[in-house]
Amino acid sequence: MIIRSKWCGITTTLETFFTLLSAGFIQRAFIIGTIIAVLSSILSVFVVLKRVSLIGDGLAHTAFGGLALGYYLSSLGYFSIALGNYLDVFPIWVAAVVVVLGSIGITKAIRSAKVAGDAAVALFLQLGLAFGIVLLSLSRGFGINLESLLFGSILLVTSNQIILASAILAITLGLIFVFFKELVYTTFDEVQARAAGVETSFFDYLISVLAGIVVIASIPIVGVLLVSALLVLPAVTSVQVSRSFKQTMILSPVFGIISVIIGLPMSIILDTASGATIVLTGLGIFLAVLGAKRLTKSTVKLAP
Amino acid sequence: MQTANSSSIVDLEKVGVQYEGGVQALENISLQVYQRDIVGIIGPNGAGKSTLLSVVLGLVKPTTGEARLFGKPISSDGLRRVGYVPQKAQPRDINFPSTVYETVLMGRVPKAGLFHRLGKQDHQKVKEVLEQLELFDLKDRRIGLLSGGQSQRVFLAKALVSDPELLLLDEPTSGVDAHSRKEFYDVLGRLNQESGVTLILSSHDIGIVTTLAKRVVCINRTLFFCGDTSEFTSSSILAKTYDYPIEVVRHHDHA
Ligand SMILES: Nc1ncnc2c1ncn2[C@@H]1O[C@H](COP(=O)(O)OP(=O)(O)OP(=O)(O)O)[C@@H](O)[C@H]1O
Ligand SMILES: [Mg+2]
Repeated sequence: MIIRSKWCGITTTLETFFTLLSAGFIQRAFIIGTIIAVLSSILSVFVVLKRVSLIGDGLAHTAFGGLALGYYLSSLGYFSIALGNYLDVFPIWVAAVVVVLGSIGITKAIRSAKVAGDAAVALFLQLGLAFGIVLLSLSRGFGINLESLLFGSILLVTSNQIILASAILAITLGLIFVFFKELVYTTFDEVQARAAGVETSFFDYLISVLAGIVVIASIPIVGVLLVSALLVLPAVTSVQVSRSFKQTMILSPVFGIISVIIGLPMSIILDTASGATIVLTGLGIFLAVLGAKRLTKSTVKLAP
Repeated sequence: MQTANSSSIVDLEKVGVQYEGGVQALENISLQVYQRDIVGIIGPNGAGKSTLLSVVLGLVKPTTGEARLFGKPISSDGLRRVGYVPQKAQPRDINFPSTVYETVLMGRVPKAGLFHRLGKQDHQKVKEVLEQLELFDLKDRRIGLLSGGQSQRVFLAKALVSDPELLLLDEPTSGVDAHSRKEFYDVLGRLNQESGVTLILSSHDIGIVTTLAKRVVCINRTLFFCGDTSEFTSSSILAKTYDYPIEVVRHHDHA
């Protein structure tokens, strides 16, 4: 990547790190990192507890297909002129549409109970990936940075992307706030909620569509390959130490934000890929929490 | 048999259920439940008791016949007036991070309605029911860590907080100790007498069903008997439903 190679020789000292902090692109990285952390970690609670953790992976690869479609379309002369200034966000919008359709499709497949949940997710994952690869090879030479698509490029984030992510954050939090009690009940037990007159199908779709949108928003940061980690790690970690749903909802974003605040500077100092470093930090926090739990509690272990 | 009218709370009309695997769980079941009824459903394992309750809850669609709730086809509007305690009164995922209090509060979700947040009134009701069922001391415990009987009481509490007009209980006392069992049935009896709640409960515990229930329904795929409890206890229908001596069933406690 351009930016990384530019800084390559001089990034190893803390001094330059603090100089870097004042740079606009670093500030943007922190802002979007925090937004995405809050967004994905709140949604992760529902995704993990509904036992559809892999949906993030399926949707990420569907998004990959969508982004590839977007790049392919913008490589066509007609579109690149018509889109003008919006050319850089156009692939994201195409991907958003594809992912929303994909998340509806995955949920439909899971709910029909004719396809096992994990198989449904796998089908969409493979479909998205295969389509994406074909389309990318068709639009080759259009200057797509495949590496940043796959691994994320948080340091290349534009102000446009921050605005988009903020809007997504506001809408997602708003929807979760409005439907909180129904979402919790549906997540707790879909059958019981349905028997109590809750329109659970709507909330099933809502969770997966929101997961899809979060995936789209997160790809610039961690890339297609690791996006689902953001939708799993914070909740898995917070469930370890929470007794109540409320605690889980509070701790999950805390763990998510800590991963970014520690992981991002580390990636800059060590000159490693930001997304992967953030995910590894999250994993480290998870293991630390597990370890701390073992040390503090001498719990009775039940035989499996 | 009485014909359906507007005061029937549950109305099953020649209901048959065939599951996807081909199992015919219910066949030609016609049954009316009226307000303030206490109906006990009796039948051996696999007789279709849970399936029958699922039909009333709209969880299983009849493959033949018709099911009505409060005089209307089953819909979420009707279901909001129904409380349900499932046979497996446990969280679907025992590691689910939810306290007893939070779990019981979920019972208020349908009552509060879409776009309304749970408020003071809802919390008040939850506290009341927790006290009533002697669960208040457990309110901060994680739901998955309770004993079977405690868990069953929590799920009864969850069903009760919505002030249901109809309460469906699937084997409500399996795994509940003698003291709690009596408490359980006292609470149910009072609900019926004082608040006019209609009860439908399935059970293996014939003794209990016949002391509490005003009417007994015996099924084993088809309907074997439907009538007053006194009529039932004096008849020989039991042996016919079960196809084997009843004593075996009586001591079979199903935890
Ligand atoms: N989801 C399902 N799919 C296929 N068959 C089912 C399903 N649920 C129940 N059955 C079958 O339908 C029949 C009736 O089952 P049901 O659970 O209603 O019986 P039950 O009277 O509640 O039994 P128990 O006393 O053991 O609770 C059984 O033969 C069972 O195997
Ligand atoms: Mg049953």
